[in-house]
Amino acid sequence: MSQASSASVGDTQTQSTDGALADVRVLDLTDERGIYGAKLLADLGADVVRPEPLEGDPLRQRGPHHEVAGSAATSLWFAFFASNRRFFALDPDATQGLAQLRQLAQRAHIILTCDAAFGVAQLDLEQLQDQRPELVVINTSSFGPSGPWRNYLAPDLVAGALGGAVATTGDTDTPPLKGFGELNFMVCGAYAAIAALAALFSARQTGAGQRADVSVHESIASCLEQVLMFYWYADRLMRPSRVLPRQGATHWSNAYTVMPGKNGSIMVTPTPDFDNQLAWLIEEDAHGDLIEPKYMDPENLPLRVQRTMELLREWVAEKDVQTLFHEAQSRHCPYGWVLPIEHVADNPQLDARQWYQPYQIGAAEITSPGAPYNFTHTPWRLKPHGESGADTEQVLADIGWGAQS
Amino acid sequence: MTEAPRPLDGLKVLDFTHVLAGPFATRVLGDMGADVVKINSVSRAAAANDPAHPYYLMWNRNKRALALDMSNPQSRPVCRALCEQADVVIDNFSVGVLDRWGVGYDIISQTNPGVIYVQMSGMGEGGPWSKYVTYAPTIHALAGLTHLTGVPGREDIGIGFSYNDHQAGLHGAVAILAALAARHRSGRGQRVDVSQFEVGVNFAGPALLDLFANGNLARPCGNDLPYDQAAPHNVYPCIPKSPAGYKGNEGNDGVENIEQQRWIAIACMTDEHWQALKTVMGSPPWADANQLDTAAGRLDNQAELDVRIGAWTQEFEAYELMALCQQAGVPAGVVQDGVDLVENDPQLAAAGFFEKLEDVHESLGQTWVDHLPIKFSRTPCEQYQRVRALGEDNEAVLADWLAMDDTTIAAAQDQGVLQ
Repeated sequence: MSQASSASVGDTQTQSTDGALADVRVLDLTDERGIYGAKLLADLGADVVRPEPLEGDPLRQRGPHHEVAGSAATSLWFAFFASNRRFFALDPDATQGLAQLRQLAQRAHIILTCDAAFGVAQLDLEQLQDQRPELVVINTSSFGPSGPWRNYLAPDLVAGALGGAVATTGDTDTPPLKGFGELNFMVCGAYAAIAALAALFSARQTGAGQRADVSVHESIASCLEQVLMFYWYADRLMRPSRVLPRQGATHWSNAYTVMPGKNGSIMVTPTPDFDNQLAWLIEEDAHGDLIEPKYMDPENLPLRVQRTMELLREWVAEKDVQTLFHEAQSRHCPYGWVLPIEHVADNPQLDARQWYQPYQIGAAEITSPGAPYNFTHTPWRLKPHGESGADTEQVLADIGWGAQS
Repeated sequence: MTEAPRPLDGLKVLDFTHVLAGPFATRVLGDMGADVVKINSVSRAAAANDPAHPYYLMWNRNKRALALDMSNPQSRPVCRALCEQADVVIDNFSVGVLDRWGVGYDIISQTNPGVIYVQMSGMGEGGPWSKYVTYAPTIHALAGLTHLTGVPGREDIGIGFSYNDHQAGLHGAVAILAALAARHRSGRGQRVDVSQFEVGVNFAGPALLDLFANGNLARPCGNDLPYDQAAPHNVYPCIPKSPAGYKGNEGNDGVENIEQQRWIAIACMTDEHWQALKTVMGSPPWADANQLDTAAGRLDNQAELDVRIGAWTQEFEAYELMALCQQAGVPAGVVQDGVDLVENDPQLAAAGFFEKLEDVHESLGQTWVDHLPIKFSRTPCEQYQRVRALGEDNEAVLADWLAMDDTTIAAAQDQGVLQ
């Protein structure tokens, strides 16, 4: 059996793409916790190979699905999170499959893993890093490699609950709520991509790779805006409590909230320029008593916020929300029209920036969300999304398997 | 401060950002060892941009502070020289501000071709909304996140914190690191345009694909999974935090005191999880109904299931119940608030996730940090410097980046440049 040569950091002999990471090879052994990180790297042009069981990646069962007459349903969830991958079907418990998996690992610059994800247990990553000290391995786990909760099970809802996100979301008359979809795992996914690229940067400077552990739990806790600020600085914020319970769409400052208009809802705020908002209310004779001197005293800012929001709620109730949104923005007021998904899909700003992209998913071309960033020299793009094991032959050729068989 | 190596050692970042999203991007870079020089000025250091404001204290550790009055024309050459030394220049001003200052990408890249410019604006460059003013609640509303996060029939809930600001920061950091990787290959820098709106819309990816492919309109679904079958999958009440709260669970004004509430999340993702939960519950007869053996059957009976489970959980202290569930293989977790995270969470405590900084500045007071949630084996990022006061690092930055001597720095100070 011929062995494919090991990768060296900065090696440019790789599958050519136009993306920022066109010379970076990644082995994707993630589950829901880390798959978004692998997506970010893949969409930036890295050659990301995702091995999957011979019977198919279990994440291909995640909904929503797209059904085309005469063929199996395709997971749109998987098409989104596993975009730009090359799919390789193997059995890591069989001699040949394990050898193939090891060869894939040998040629990778970065290996992304999650505890207990497909193929991870069969690879001896410590030994691999001993053999290839430039290798970067990023492991995403629910709680990190140690600690009393390290073996706890934490799907997105549980992760969000323990991490602090769920407690802040919801209203006084609802239970605490999770965000829609996979918002918690998308945070740790972003951190996993950061860890991989930072370690790659370091490896290219020093020649030395390393392992990094990303904790889902810590990732969520690090992205809670006011939660830790209230705990640590409640006195300075003149807050009566270190905890702010869930309060619907009302911001912790009480100066942003969602209000009903005539034909929808709109996020309304008098910030950052209360006087600008007051002038607008005066124009429309909707200012009530806001011009009384007591509201101008900086010490009465909470009172001014409260009264302004009361008056705004009455005023907004009679407004067409679309017209109000654009009028507010023309006055530099950061209102936000609460858009349902169909209006997000049909949006003049996204259209003007040609944000949505065509995406070949199996036999169908479907419109897809685009990039979260635009690079001037290294464009982001979506390659066709394949079925289970779609790229196995090509990947086998890349790792030299065809030459020895 | 110890000088153990960190992954981004040697990287120079010039940081013009303010509020949350931009500072969070550079916070992550600073945590990983980049030399982040944050530009501020006397005239701009107000509200969330005041170094003593808690909001500023949260997002600006591990950065050096340079005061530079950009309204003073004599500051421009200093700013330009800094840009010419930078690996990364990042801002979240309106489009064109850096150009007007004579330090835009097109100018600086002529002498610093490797420089990477990142602009993190609300709407990105170009388009009819490009000049719209946005904060995270604005983006949440426009991106569909407010509409989708809540319960059926409501569109006034949304995410309870500035999720998208954090994520825009993280995606900004990803973009910078990717651009650095591209520079390694090509030797050339580039501009990166990060639209916080587009970052936010991206999070509805599967729902948008479902709309475009199938015409399905995603709607808020509480704690249910929007597309997959899992039940029970919700949060359930436990014994409130204090006995006083438990007695009717009402505050003095008669209004339910939700601060006292305790909840536990239980997420049975498989039939095995459900069977394990039944065991933890003591196998009550109602749970043995055949229709509950499958996820589809449990979803058909979800309302009743939630009521019965809630009646059971409310007899338990939340952390004890979580331990019972987890020991039996049931995914369960206490709904933790800020006090819980800092005071009651043994996992975060074991990780040393929070730190009270010993170095206290007289005008900024005591500060704390939450650690980077990435643990590097060779280049651990366990060095945390407090937020710096306005202009606290003027001399050091100008000496390190521009090799300015004391006399030159003093002259700049006299000209009102460094304030």
